[in-house]
Parts: sequence; structure tokens; C-alpha cells
Amino acid sequence: MIARRALLRASAALALAGCAPRSRAVREDGRVVVTFWYAYGDLVRKVMLDLVSRFNASQSRVLVRAVHQGDYFEALAKLRTALAAGAAPTLSHVVLEVVPYLARAGVLEALDGYDDARAIPFVPALGQRGSFSGADNEPLVAIPFNRSTPIVFANARVLEEEGVDVPRTWEELADAARRLTRRTAGGDVRWGFEVPISWWYWVAMVGQAGGRIVEPDGRITLGADAGVEAIRFWQRLAMDRVMRPPPGRDYQAWQSSNESFLQGRIAMMWSSTAYVRYLEDNATFPVVAAPLPRHVRASVPTGGTMFVVLRAAPDEEKLAAWEFVRWMCDAGQTIAWSTRTGYMPVTLPAVERLGPWYARHPNDRVAYDQLAHATPWPWSPELFRIDRDIVEPRLEDAVLGGRDARELLREALAEARRPA
Amino acid sequence: MTPRAPWHPWAMLGPTLGLLAVFFLVPIGVAAYESLFSWDMLTPPRFVGAANYVAIAAHGELFHIALRTTGFSAIVVAGTMTLGLGLALIVDRPGRFFAWVRASVFSAYVVSWVAVALLWMWMLDGNGGIVGRALHGSPLGDLRWALPALAVVAVWKLTGYAMIVFLAGLQSIPPSLYEAAALDGVGMWGRLRHVTLPLLAPTAAFVATTSLVTSFQAFDVVRIMTQGGPARATELFVYAIYEQVFLDLSVGRASALTVVFFVLLLALATVQLRAWRAREGEGR
Repeated sequence: MIARRALLRASAALALAGCAPRSRAVREDGRVVVTFWYAYGDLVRKVMLDLVSRFNASQSRVLVRAVHQGDYFEALAKLRTALAAGAAPTLSHVVLEVVPYLARAGVLEALDGYDDARAIPFVPALGQRGSFSGADNEPLVAIPFNRSTPIVFANARVLEEEGVDVPRTWEELADAARRLTRRTAGGDVRWGFEVPISWWYWVAMVGQAGGRIVEPDGRITLGADAGVEAIRFWQRLAMDRVMRPPPGRDYQAWQSSNESFLQGRIAMMWSSTAYVRYLEDNATFPVVAAPLPRHVRASVPTGGTMFVVLRAAPDEEKLAAWEFVRWMCDAGQTIAWSTRTGYMPVTLPAVERLGPWYARHPNDRVAYDQLAHATPWPWSPELFRIDRDIVEPRLEDAVLGGRDARELLREALAEARRPA
Repeated sequence: MTPRAPWHPWAMLGPTLGLLAVFFLVPIGVAAYESLFSWDMLTPPRFVGAANYVAIAAHGELFHIALRTTGFSAIVVAGTMTLGLGLALIVDRPGRFFAWVRASVFSAYVVSWVAVALLWMWMLDGNGGIVGRALHGSPLGDLRWALPALAVVAVWKLTGYAMIVFLAGLQSIPPSLYEAAALDGVGMWGRLRHVTLPLLAPTAAFVATTSLVTSFQAFDVVRIMTQGGPARATELFVYAIYEQVFLDLSVGRASALTVVFFVLLLALATVQLRAWRAREGEGR
């Protein structure tokens, strides 16, 4: 009976705590607790947790408690629900596409006034201003952390055996994919090329075909002709049976590509620089990384996530969260993070110190060099909806279902221009 | 029986009514109300009238979701019933071996949906799964085969339950009926057709209803195995609602879908109830 009463009381307290905005910081042994929701798995998660415990051991004012919340999109879903319920954490990290939306909703803390915030020497293309176009007058709400670009990974042994070079243009890619695809009598296939049929890679190709998702004046065009051309190129590779779209959605597909690549079942793939270390460490063949091929021009989007501090958290927690974020941006941490995963270093001093290391690890350098062709994301609150709700599901429709690219994008455009 | 005071029946019904109101009537009412707004949970809701219904009906999205769900249910119901009945007829025998087979088949039903989904994902994996390798690729990545593959997984899990219920039904048929039929010279097939199947009809109706309800509620397999993909080929009703509200954060559209789903289920339940009543009437 007592137990039941205690349980009831505890759940009532929990419910109340969930509803009321917190005004006082959570403390533990005199240290301010920063709840940090993160969304990494496998190797990256290990490196992340290692850094968090190093931070916790390095001082006695702040205690960062890292809570795993699934992949980026699951974590984001939980974050948005928690925000609505008034139960958000102090700190999280989110994909770039959603930053303008969250900023407009007023849930992100403006960090301009925080110690040093405007003075951290970020790599220009990776800071908030460089990562977004049309965001020069926006308050600083996002701090780069695990930043990436899509790159080519190739099985160097297979390429050498077949006498194929890493393709530098779309046409070379189509040709290489054809020459690298091999079918056995038993029905097994080694695919020449694989890429998850997903937004990030489509955006890269729209850029390469000379288009933009959102024009500088704010008009949504989804790349217009370039958007269609990108889809048609994918359709052509799939129809020629030299490219296999991996099964699964979102990061399941990425993971599936990684596994197929490591097993030698695909010769080339597009993936994130985040996997450089994982693939190099697990492959039984030499892995070579290269920039994405160009079409009418070279272009890649940047990816990964940025740190955001949630506005609803108590001030003391926000200051404590900033202390952690600031520490993570120090060259030591940035270098540890970057060299142990494959993500790009986000600050200039870290890049400088990485010079000799890059000389020994050329694959790690590819994404960073490719930043020269990075196309910033438009600062558009609609961007995330366009990505997840409108474009992403239609890409598969086009490539797997063979629907007409132009008609599909026309439909997507109508949907994108309709108010949510 | 007359109640001592007019409020007595209400007092008896009270707890159930209260639960029904809190967990069913009020939420459905709230969903119906919210379906008229555009709301992302972070910015204030905006009244949009029927726009959410128009949006989900546009491009045949709603039609496709309903069609997929119905197709999935059809495979699941037909599959579990056929396999469940077949297995029940085979294992309805004494002996330790058959007891072991019954327990093995039923064990799949006891395992959680998540575990079943993970197990099958592993088996269907095109890179290393037993089934996936045999098929030269995972059906989960194939536009035509992803939904049937999920349905097969559901059948695999639910068959054990159907088998147990059919077994109970079989064992409640009086042996004297079989004896009488045998005396009349009826063969094995004849006994199955004229004794077993007619007497199993109520059991079959029960299995059909429960597997229909379960298949309409399918979520875990979709969430874990395909997340609705490829190209929305496995986006069933409950998953579509989840996706709208939690991934796309359109509370309004998710609510509109919920309302439509509710109406669809209500219609199905009505049809089923009517069929039942007609049958009962026949019996009398």
C-alpha cells in the first residue's frame, strides 16, 4: 500500500515537473547538470562519450549528462515533442536543415552574448554564417560540431583490377559504374555504384547540375531543371542496372551501404566523410576517398549537425552548456573528434595543426578540401518540411517506382509552396 | 431486474464510462478538433478548416494508405487463418512430439513484435541474412515485395495464436459427431467439410476478427523494418499517423488521418457486427 502511494506521489511529481517550466538548474554534488541529447551510434557515439567524460573530469562546476536519443531524425522528433511538453534538455545537436525552423519557433537560445561566442575561429564555411545563405543578420543560435560533406568511397583493389579511375564527372561515373558492375552465374551482383536515394545526395546533384533548392530571393524552386536532371541521372543508373539503391530508410540505408561496401559487394559509393575512420579500420582492402564528381560545376552541401542550446532551460544550465560547447571547440577536442571519426575539424587552429596528420591520411582531407565547392543552405524555415515531408519520399518514388521526374517535382513544388 | 434507485446502473457503468471517456472519447474529440488546425506544437495553431483533409486526400495519398493497409490486412488475415487451421489439423494429436511442435509454433506469438522484426530484418538482410541471400537481395528494399514481406512476418508471428484457438475449437467438437459421420460412411474429407469446418465457423470468425484488428494496428514491424519505405510502399495507417505527428510534426494532418482511420474502423466494425447479428438470427 505504501509502495503504491509512493508510486502515485512520484508520478504526480513527475507529471508536474514535466509541465512547469523549470526555473532552477538541476544540480548534483554542487555541479550544474547539463542534459545533452545526442544522436550518434557505434564508433562516433564512443568517441562522443569519451569526450564528455573527459570534460566532466576536467572541472568540477559542470556535469554533462549525455542521453542517447536514436538517430538524427528520431532525436529531433523527441526534441520537438519535449519542447512542446516543456521538458526539453539543456543542450542538443540538430541537422542544419531544421535550424532556421527552430530559430523562427523561438526555441533556440541566442548565443551572441555568451563568452567568446563571436570570436571562436570557425572554418568560415562551417560556422552558422557560412553554412547558411541569407543568415547574416540572424542571431547566433547554432555552433558547428560534427560537420561533414558527402564524398566518394571506392574499393581501390577493385578499381585497380578493372583499370578504372575514380570518376570526376557524371559521365565518367556512369561509365565507371558500368565497368565495375559484375554479375555471377549464381545471380550474385557486385554493383558498380551505390548511393542512398536521399535528400542530401540529391541536393549535391542539384548543385552540380547548376540549380538551387531555394533562390536567393526566397522563392522555392527545388532546382527547377537541375532538380529534374539530378533525378533522371539516378533513374538512368538504376535502369542500366549499374547502381543499386540500398534498402532501408534514412541511416538504415547508409549503414546498409557501408556493410555492402565492406563486404566487397559494391565498388564505389557516396557516403559521409563521417565514416572515413570506420571504413578504413574495417575494410580488408585499401579504401580511397575522393570528391564527388562534377556536372556543370562542382558542388556539395555540408552536413552533420550543430550544437543548439534550448532557450527554455534555466540560465545557469545554459551558461554551463556553453562552457561545454566552448570546450568542445578548443583545438584539442576538435582534433580528437575529427581524427577519430572522419568529421571535418571545425576551427582554423585545428586545421593548421592537422597538416602533418593529413599528409599521412589523405582520405580525411577530401571533405575539407571539398569545402571550396560547398553550397550553403538557404536560411529558410520551410527547408526542413521540404526535405522530410515533400522531397525525400518522392525521390524513392522516382528512382524505384520509375515515376516521371518532372511531374514528380512539379507536384513537390506545389506542395512546398502550399502553406504548411 | 429493476434497480433500487435510478442512478444505480449509472454508478455501475461509471468506472467503465469514465475510462472510455478519458482514453477514447475525449482523445477522439480532441483529434477531430485539432484536425481543423495547422499546428507544429512549437508555434501557435492556425485554423485552416478542412485543409488538412484536402492535403491528405491530395495525390491519392490517403487512398494509397488505406489500400496498403487493407492489402496488408488481407494477406495477414488469410495467411494466419489458413496456416493456423492447417497446423491445428496437423498437430491435433496426442504425443510429446506434437506437444513440442505446438509449443514451438506458439512461441513466436509470445515474442515481442520488436524482437520478431529485428530477427526477420537480420534474416532478410541482403548482405548476410539466410533468406536475403537466397533471394539475392532483401525484399524490404523492393517496391513490390516490401509490403508482402512485412505481411509474411506478421503471419509468421500470429499463426501460433490462430493455431491454438483453432485447436481449442477442434477439441470442443464432440467426437460423437465424427463417429456418426463415420458410421454413415463419410470419408476424411467429408468429415472435414461437413463436420469440422461448419462447427469451427465461430472460432474462425473470432480468429479473423482478432487478426484483422492486430493487422490494422501494425506499427512495430513497419517502424523497425522499413520506416514506411521504400517510397512509402509500407506506410500503413498507424505508421502514417506517427510519421505525420512525430517526424513531420503536422499535428493537424496526423489528427485528420486519425479521424479518417477511426471512421474506417467504425465502418468495418459495423459491417462485422451486422454480419454477426444476421448469422445469430439465422441460428434461431
